[in-house]
Amino acid sequence: MVKQLRQESIAELWKIDGELWTRGRNAIAFVALISWVAALTGWVLDPQRFLQSYLVGFLVALAVPLGALFFLMVGFLTGSAWSVPMRRVAENILYTIPAGALLFLPIALGVHELYEWSHAEALANDLLLRGKSGYLNPQWFVIRAAIYFAVWSLWANRLYTASTRQDRTGSLEQMHQASRWSAPGLPLTFVTVSLASFDWIMSLDPHWYSTIFGLYFFSGAALTFIAVWTLACLWLRDHGVLREAITVEHYHDFGKWMFALTVFWAYLGFSQYMLIWYGNLPEETTWFHQRLEGSWKWWSALLLVGHFIVPFLVLISRPAKRKLRLLRTMALWFVAMEFVDIYWLVMPGFQKQGVALHWLDAAAVLACGSALALVFWARMKRHPLIPIGDPRLEQGLEFHNI
Amino acid sequence: MHTNTPELRDKNIWGMVAEFERPRDLVEAGRRVHHEHGYKKLDALSPFPIHGIDAAIGVPRSMLGYVVFAMGILGCAGAALMIWFMNGADYPLVIGGKPLFAFEPSIPVMFEVTVLFAALTAFAGMFALNGLPRLYHPAFNYSRFGAATDDRYLLVVEAADPKFDIDETRRLLESLGARHVEVIEG
Repeated sequence: MVKQLRQESIAELWKIDGELWTRGRNAIAFVALISWVAALTGWVLDPQRFLQSYLVGFLVALAVPLGALFFLMVGFLTGSAWSVPMRRVAENILYTIPAGALLFLPIALGVHELYEWSHAEALANDLLLRGKSGYLNPQWFVIRAAIYFAVWSLWANRLYTASTRQDRTGSLEQMHQASRWSAPGLPLTFVTVSLASFDWIMSLDPHWYSTIFGLYFFSGAALTFIAVWTLACLWLRDHGVLREAITVEHYHDFGKWMFALTVFWAYLGFSQYMLIWYGNLPEETTWFHQRLEGSWKWWSALLLVGHFIVPFLVLISRPAKRKLRLLRTMALWFVAMEFVDIYWLVMPGFQKQGVALHWLDAAAVLACGSALALVFWARMKRHPLIPIGDPRLEQGLEFHNI
Repeated sequence: MHTNTPELRDKNIWGMVAEFERPRDLVEAGRRVHHEHGYKKLDALSPFPIHGIDAAIGVPRSMLGYVVFAMGILGCAGAALMIWFMNGADYPLVIGGKPLFAFEPSIPVMFEVTVLFAALTAFAGMFALNGLPRLYHPAFNYSRFGAATDDRYLLVVEAADPKFDIDETRRLLESLGARHVEVIEG
């Protein structure tokens, strides 16, 4: 009883101010309103282009909670203490996964516009597509998506519930519960995210295949999550929330994660490219040919320089990772680069003449992003902003880099 | 047992050791001695690394990272140059219909040589910059030095420090809660 009272009084300290919360909500709702009106107008005016842009926007937005799922499970399994003060913010991001299932609806409706393998006449003329049609067909495509979202939502919900329940109990039990769910959850997430990226992105070019593709997508997703997480924490810091709890030591680690993941992303991207370059088989090289022709060549260069070389050189030094202003710039930069990356994965097949950006690209990213952000923001008021019941919290607050 | 008597001043005094019972006492004492009293030649000895001690006693960041970076760049460029020279210039050999030199197949080697150079530099550089291997250190002369490998936390003030004064320094360290202060001969 006494313990419960103590927990409640601590919980009061870690709340976001009501007025500040409302201002944040209004800002997100404003962006959501404008972007959804624009996106839906686009759907009516140019359904083809809308769906292409929407697929990019959907994937960029969904990458963030998927990255959170990966990161939180790694944290629970390794008993990470440094990340505990910021963990609730990440859990609130994780909580948006089920909303991603709603965002998937336009894609489920637009399978025919987006995916060549759904066309009966394409199947009739193509032996390879007929062979793959047992897997690549519209019904099974939608059912698979439902399975992915069911798995992700279940795990997101279990981890979220365990952590928020621990706020009240302060017991080790929820910690063990979270680890027990994370152990099977991590490999399951890798398999489902891999398959999802095969379904949603790789099957846009149904003749082409790369087994590392799922990891490539997931590494970018994890990086985008860290970037968004950093931005959310920095926003709170700017408004005087959690200033003492999340210190420059924690931001330093955000910087390390961004550095590590941008290198990992480049490693996977290069592994995929080099093997295909070396094998030099026509059915594999077409995909890269498409991305090295016309203005796509410059888009690819932007990806290499902007997603890897520049961040690598900027974030390699210790002082850079401890400058919050620079870290914020880099986090924003990585979010922009995730858009460049997903656009590069999705669009070349639709834009054979070269890069053709459209206002719907911006509208779709903002629409999907702001929809998830609203769910996230609603969560920010529901529970303390810090997992106050976690026994590792004190250790996390005291954390220092050597 | 050493005592702080005038005749000791003529001896070969290397420095002074103050013993603390808790890591945070050591950090706090180190911070005061360095930041408030301006001592520069300080060292801390403890059974395990203590967070924040480097900043407290003013240990500068090591330059090792920059050396490692430079050597990594050298390894990267060296590997590219090696492959280009061997396969493309000195003994041109077409393999699998590939260009004589291309970055695509060279990058794994460039990456590995970067890591090799960087890792070896980090390993050797750490030893060199720390002056290791080193079999003797004057701080060993502290009568209870072994405690620093167990449950005591030692702050060392070298006599070479311009602010060092046997009486003053001892008084300062004792005022900061040192359990035991001892003058060390070199």
